[in-house]
Amino acid sequence: MKALIQKELRENLKLAVLGLGILTLILALNAQKYSTILKNLGGISESQQVYLPWQPLVSSDILIGFFCAIFGAVLGWFQIHNESHRDLWAFLIHRPITRTEIFLGKVIAGLMLYVLATGLPLIGFIAWALVPGHVAAPFQWAMLRPVAILVLSGILYYFAGMLTGLRQARWYASRALGLGVALFVSLMFQSEPHLWQALFFILIGGIILATAVWGGFHSHGYYRGQPAPGRLALTGALMPGWGFVLALTAILLVELLLRNSNFNPRSEYQMTKDGTIYKVTRGNGDQSDIMDLAGKPLMDSKTGRRIRTADFNRQLCIRVQINPDFSNRAPHGRWLDRDCNRFTFWRATPDTLWYYWGRYGRLVGYDIATRRFIGSLGPNGFAQNISGNGDRFDNDRNNYAVASRRIINTAHAVYELDLEHRATKAIYSITNDSEAATLSNITNTPHESIGGIGEVSLNGNDWDYTIVVTRSYVRLLSPDGKAVWQFAYKSNHPDYGQITVSFLDSRNQFALWLVPSGHTQEKTGWKLPMQVTWLDREQGALRSTDLPVLSHNRREFAREQKLISLSLPPALLVMLPLFDEVPRLEDIPWVLVRYSLAAALVCLPVGWWVGRRYSLTLPSRVGWAAFHLVFGIPGLLTFLSVQEWPAREACPNCKKLRVVDREKCEHCGADFAPPEKNGTEVFETMAAAK
Amino acid sequence: MNEQSVIQTRGLTRYFGAKPAVHDLNLEVPRGSVFAFLGRNGSGKTTTIRMLLGLLEPTRGQGSILGYDIRTLPPEARARIGYLTEEHQLYGWMSVKECGGFQSQFYPRWNEKIFRGVIGHFSLKPAARVKDLSRGERAGLCLGLTLAPEPELLILDDPAMGLDPVAHRSLIESMIYLTRRSDRTIFFSSHQLADVERVADYVAILDRSVLRVCCSLETFRNSVQQVRLRFPGVPPPVQNIPGLLQAFRAEGELRLTCVHYGAATEQALRALAPAQMEMVPLSLEDAFISYLGERGEKSFILSETEAQP
Repeated sequence: MKALIQKELRENLKLAVLGLGILTLILALNAQKYSTILKNLGGISESQQVYLPWQPLVSSDILIGFFCAIFGAVLGWFQIHNESHRDLWAFLIHRPITRTEIFLGKVIAGLMLYVLATGLPLIGFIAWALVPGHVAAPFQWAMLRPVAILVLSGILYYFAGMLTGLRQARWYASRALGLGVALFVSLMFQSEPHLWQALFFILIGGIILATAVWGGFHSHGYYRGQPAPGRLALTGALMPGWGFVLALTAILLVELLLRNSNFNPRSEYQMTKDGTIYKVTRGNGDQSDIMDLAGKPLMDSKTGRRIRTADFNRQLCIRVQINPDFSNRAPHGRWLDRDCNRFTFWRATPDTLWYYWGRYGRLVGYDIATRRFIGSLGPNGFAQNISGNGDRFDNDRNNYAVASRRIINTAHAVYELDLEHRATKAIYSITNDSEAATLSNITNTPHESIGGIGEVSLNGNDWDYTIVVTRSYVRLLSPDGKAVWQFAYKSNHPDYGQITVSFLDSRNQFALWLVPSGHTQEKTGWKLPMQVTWLDREQGALRSTDLPVLSHNRREFAREQKLISLSLPPALLVMLPLFDEVPRLEDIPWVLVRYSLAAALVCLPVGWWVGRRYSLTLPSRVGWAAFHLVFGIPGLLTFLSVQEWPAREACPNCKKLRVVDREKCEHCGADFAPPEKNGTEVFETMAAAK
Repeated sequence: MNEQSVIQTRGLTRYFGAKPAVHDLNLEVPRGSVFAFLGRNGSGKTTTIRMLLGLLEPTRGQGSILGYDIRTLPPEARARIGYLTEEHQLYGWMSVKECGGFQSQFYPRWNEKIFRGVIGHFSLKPAARVKDLSRGERAGLCLGLTLAPEPELLILDDPAMGLDPVAHRSLIESMIYLTRRSDRTIFFSSHQLADVERVADYVAILDRSVLRVCCSLETFRNSVQQVRLRFPGVPPPVQNIPGLLQAFRAEGELRLTCVHYGAATEQALRALAPAQMEMVPLSLEDAFISYLGERGEKSFILSETEAQP
């Protein structure tokens, strides 16, 4: 096997060096782009700055992911393609070593080259980024987990590439179906809440693809002649590919055939600057259906016709939304987002950059010129070290809005930030005895805490208001911390998980929207109404109304979703919700599962009939029938693409058609007749010949 | 399983789609023999060889090689079998010496002297890259790689295909010189009938995927005969002649090639009422060509109307 490994290394080294060069170039360009950003920071608006790639190690992940997938697939495919000529393949396979050793020899060499081509540039890039003075942004090793997972997932593409090169398929395009597993895993590991789930998917995908390739070496890429694990793995490897092909075809057909039909309107409530609520229904076109709550269309006062959407949008009021969170649980969501967003860019001053780093609960600062750490800011002010002796805002469960860059909070106070002078000032506290409490007109209840804050700028620049949501109240504060109004929130929490404040044309009037959370709605059967209260600076609450749930908010599936679900395996629709952060049976889309199952039930007799045509044994046919039921149309197509369509000829005994790949007739048990003699045969026994 | 047979097949069949490429092949190759496997292009020779070496799954039937099932040939069996493919494909980036080094690491019985002898016979430079070699040189290198492990059984799939006469002669000389060992078996397919006549002990012929001949060369030579019938006018139509392979019709003459020429054939010929009937000497090459050629009657008469009695 050593000789084979050496041969493979030598044969594919050029490709690995090419890959290494490309990745090095990609990373070098990324580093250069980062330097350019730092040089030209003054010319970039504050709102755009938030989205800049502040940590090149994290922001390069998409490019690295694409590179690993493409390079892995090409490397795997080339390793087989190099010996795809029939005679060269025979030369390889006729080595006096087992097929498993040939498989291992190729894979070991291939993975060594893969690690060389991806690992070396990445290690160099990480080393560059870690040397102080190169990257002016926080770093922790956990930020590299997405890149590590992407590099790992490239191995799946490597095996998929090998399988593509190896597979002998009746339908040429079906050779590449193995890539479906790698694509599926790539989609799954990005959307899962836990890292272990991502690793689990990569492991399972890797086992399936590696086993399918191993089996392919035993049968020269054919399904027939493989060991049972190889056949099983090949079936599993092709099925997701068919799923992708079918789903894409279904989406394309739905897009082409149903694009112009306005069958999936989406409705929402909107408030104009005068405080009137309208129901806006958006279809597929540009024009929306705009009606008041009595169902009367809104007319344009100038034209007397129905108002145009663009004109209506100009009449809408400014609104700020907050999703308060009072739990002490760790940040949730996708593991990938958590690892990629371990710090948030906060704001740049002319000579410094500031980030909120959840690990320390503080704002950390870097000098733009030297790209070095300068210190950190906590509730008690500036510290030259990063931890500030444990003084932390400790509030990374809040998802800071893009515009909230002048204030920050702890669980009990809101602070104004002065990054130019590296200072903080408390503007609001819910601790009565705190010196920082500046609001004499606010009374807090015991065990109070802040669940969310919002900074309001009505003209896009000035700081006009601060919204603070505590367990008991929603409060609107002036920039100096004085209460403009407060609204009792306690009874609504936690069912009403979304708070929106609308700022009306009159500077003294507002509207507060309390919107039920989707989770609560599901539990209560979508019956909780939306609550809207109009508030006045002087008079407090003026009036309130309950708005019924709009149809699109209920968990209903559109017609196109149902059509697309016909092409998906029922098992997939049942399985996917079980990988959510909190797996719940009620999250399974049973309506779509029913559609998918209906398609699977159609596949069942078709598969059974084809199985009979193949003369499969009864247990085999039952097994395939179960497969078709679980995996629907993709399952049936997988079956058709792995099984070779056997020729049939008439049995001389029973006259029925029988498949040629059995030793005896499956109907009557008769042997095959020898070829007809033509009188020119010359045979002698070998004993006689001697 | 006959222990004297190194290759044995029973009902070996391979379909490509609905068409049988090899149909119900029953073959025995005696140990120590040089066995020629003949047939026209597409008759199933390469398919058979690939099945024997486990490179192609048979549709049905069984086979064994050196006593091992062809479907599950273990590495120890492969170490005893040398296989030379028809197109002499090798890794183009390797040098001649590297090819030898690569191959030698898989075979404990690798004989460097044989390898050097063969590449010397073909005047190959050890540093030359495979991609720069001519087809004949590549064939020589492949032969060296096949012979140096000293295999018990050599399977050569049309080894002389595409070679010029010099390279062809070198290849055959090397084969004869280096493979004549009492316990070594050579199973080769070829279109070079002179080679077959020169080296083979046994012959098997595939005709349109069906095995029609499997016997010693001597038996085959004796089984195929040619007879010339002279007629005063246009010869009569030839029908129902037992063992007839080919018939050539000329003015006043019929030349018939038959197998198993015997009393029944002679009686059928006499029924044609020829003026004269004589046996014509037939070389082995002619016998092969008659056998491998198209069945039926061919005519040298230019005008069909003239030929009518």
